[in-house]
Amino acid sequence: MNRVQAAKSILWVVVGFAAAVGITRMIYGLGATTNLNDATPWGLWIGFDVMAGVALAAGGFVITAIVYIMKREEFRPIVKPAVLTAFLGYIAVIISLLFDLGLPWNIWHMLIFWNPHSPLFEVGWCVMLYTTVLLLEFSPVPLEASSRYAKIRTFLLRFRFPLVMLGIMLSTLHQSSLGSLFLIMPYKSYPLWYSDILPILFFISAVALGLMMITLESLVTSHLYRRQVETELLSKLARASVWVLSIYVLTKLTEIVIAGESSLIFNGSWESILFIVEITIGVLAPIVIFSIPQFRRSQKWLWAGSVMVVFGMVFNRINVGGLTMMGITGDSYFPSWMEISISAGVVSAAVLVFFFAVERFHVWETPPRHPEAEPTSRPRFDRVSQVWLGAPSVAGRTKYSLAFLFSFAVAVAIVPGNEIQSKGAVTVPTMPARGGDTLFIDGNRDLYGVAFKHEMHISQNGQKQSCVLCHHMNIPMDKQSGCYRCHKSMYQESDAFGHQWHSSPRGGNIACVQCHEDGRERTAASAKKCDNCHRDLLPDGARIKHERNIAPSYVDAMHRLCVDCHKEKALTLEGKGDLARCARCHETVPPEYMSPGAPLLGNRPYFNRVMMPGAESLLKADD
Amino acid sequence: MQTLLELAQGPLFRLTFAIMALGLLRILILDIWGAVEAYRKAGDKNIPWGQAFRKSLAWLFPVGKAFGSRPVYSLFSILFHIGLILVPLFLFAHVELWKSGIGLGWVTLPKDWADYLTLSTIIFGLALFIGRVAFRASSFLSRKQDIIWPLALIVPFITGYICANTGIAPAGYQFFMLIHILSAELIFALLPFTKIAHCVLMPLSQFVATLAWRFPPDTDEPVAISLNKKGVPV
Repeated sequence: MNRVQAAKSILWVVVGFAAAVGITRMIYGLGATTNLNDATPWGLWIGFDVMAGVALAAGGFVITAIVYIMKREEFRPIVKPAVLTAFLGYIAVIISLLFDLGLPWNIWHMLIFWNPHSPLFEVGWCVMLYTTVLLLEFSPVPLEASSRYAKIRTFLLRFRFPLVMLGIMLSTLHQSSLGSLFLIMPYKSYPLWYSDILPILFFISAVALGLMMITLESLVTSHLYRRQVETELLSKLARASVWVLSIYVLTKLTEIVIAGESSLIFNGSWESILFIVEITIGVLAPIVIFSIPQFRRSQKWLWAGSVMVVFGMVFNRINVGGLTMMGITGDSYFPSWMEISISAGVVSAAVLVFFFAVERFHVWETPPRHPEAEPTSRPRFDRVSQVWLGAPSVAGRTKYSLAFLFSFAVAVAIVPGNEIQSKGAVTVPTMPARGGDTLFIDGNRDLYGVAFKHEMHISQNGQKQSCVLCHHMNIPMDKQSGCYRCHKSMYQESDAFGHQWHSSPRGGNIACVQCHEDGRERTAASAKKCDNCHRDLLPDGARIKHERNIAPSYVDAMHRLCVDCHKEKALTLEGKGDLARCARCHETVPPEYMSPGAPLLGNRPYFNRVMMPGAESLLKADD
Repeated sequence: MQTLLELAQGPLFRLTFAIMALGLLRILILDIWGAVEAYRKAGDKNIPWGQAFRKSLAWLFPVGKAFGSRPVYSLFSILFHIGLILVPLFLFAHVELWKSGIGLGWVTLPKDWADYLTLSTIIFGLALFIGRVAFRASSFLSRKQDIIWPLALIVPFITGYICANTGIAPAGYQFFMLIHILSAELIFALLPFTKIAHCVLMPLSQFVATLAWRFPPDTDEPVAISLNKKGVPV
């Protein structure tokens, strides 16, 4: 068996396994198949497949820039494979993203529902446009196959230069914007990786990674297809990467020194070890290796150096993407075997398409030929059945489909059947609002809440009569019950009735027929209404009407109650147009609720962990 | 025993069923693929589609064809197939399993019908086996799998019958159930790779034969020339 066949068989095994796991993921959802949770919502699929995947595909725009913009013609032989790699890389990113999105069928939303404030919106659009550009850049190659498409091909080739320009522009935008994503979480990212210039660092490192990924791809395919290694070209790429890597490491270290974080590098913590490993293997060592001319002309060292950069930069994206946040979130995440196999499957599928393309189309100067496809070659017989499996293409599809089939079946067997289900959301109990005339509402006591001017609302809405506007229930032995009494869970619905309590001898001790009409099936429909017994349960004039005994989550209840009313008032009251805006209520934490003992994230005045303008002074006053 | 049963009902079932379903799909695709390639390469594209289609239909319902040289054997074979296909697919207990597993159910056979069909499958399976071995001409033509398959196929039917009629062996229910499941799973796993694959390839068989070896008209002469045998009688 030759190298390509062996590689393809292994890749098909991986793809088959991942296909079964992927179907499981789509049927049972993220909670059941991944180790992701609210503290770590971005795991392997984002850190490796998306963040690192986009960076690994940077070779496309780097090489097209070198050849078409800088006019370095000697690199032309590696343009087509680089563009192909980039295109497949982006497709892989998109497919991985579909696995990672909770509602993948909503991926088109960014086309219609624009949020121009979000870096993710920019990344989404750029990735979409750049994938299209890459497709247009590469499609002349497969179109070459038939003269029927000659016109389309010439048409596309005429636009090559603008396409290349567009590609570089889009890449510059989103390679850096992937870094901008993390600017929103300065207190979640570890300081050694967090930086105001994260977008710039992402861009520079993507260029270096792109160069080295092309080198590695060329080395691997040369090995598999037994082609002559383009050592001369690759050594030039290596030399260029020395410059880019040096700029990268200097920028990064300077930034760390200026930010006063240099002591963190050698403090012996888990993060400092990660940082040293990342920088040494991914940046410093390759700089040293490729600075020596003999080394960059040696295949062995080219292998070593490019593997190191690819490892180091992928590691960097994983570090930024979440690995280094664990110390701060306190959540220890390790990808589940299903996440790992889907990641591996997507990459393997991309590699298989790459093989298909180089064998079928004119990607390389000399397309590879299967040795057994020569008319003079002697037939080889299958070891098991002792028959000739046919020409290489026929034998290939027979064997690879078998590999796919068996590994798919094994995965189906391993994936737990009926037992598979999500761990579900964590129930967060709610607690009463605190304070007097001004109430501080943070049901889960995380100090992100709203300072609610209770007294002011009473006086402005008609004194005593105003109570029922909000307090829509008097639960037994209580008047104007607090929200937390029924809305017991922060993010989930909760039962406001308590069937168990009503029926149990130690609780209400009521016989079934006292509520349920006799002779009918005992359902909610056949039961008496609550106010049959609890006369005072629902006060007259309440804004909120009850349809079910299920109380919405605390968060939903608060927002519906407040926001609906505020929206109304914003339209009717003069000069109160901004009444319904988020920041109107979610302003700051009143200082009296900020204690020195509050958790790290809690004792800062943020709204949803974004600092509100003007909050700095409040924080100082508290100190 | 309980663990073995759980293993056989869970992971092993999923493994073998996936192999069967995907394996059958695989050979179907490979076959169609091969047929398309054969058509592309065919020198003589004048292909009698209608004739091949009629032939396929004739073999799919082999009423006219089957009674040529060995009418009894053909009849037994047809009767064997009826039970073999209907019982596993439409047995009430099996449909219930599908319902609880994937939530889909369909029409089922009445209990006594299922029993009769099971018994007939067992009997005709044995008869086919005897027919294979006892007659010289057919035992000469038979491969190993031709002889083994009729026997292997009736194992799940025998054990299934015992399990469905608990009066026969009340103490051995779990044991027979295990054999029932394992033997069926063995059949699942081997199905796409042996002659039983005809369950999906059957409709294609005539097309493959029709499409193969279609040389351009008047090919014989150049072939004979290149073989250096011009004028030599075949």
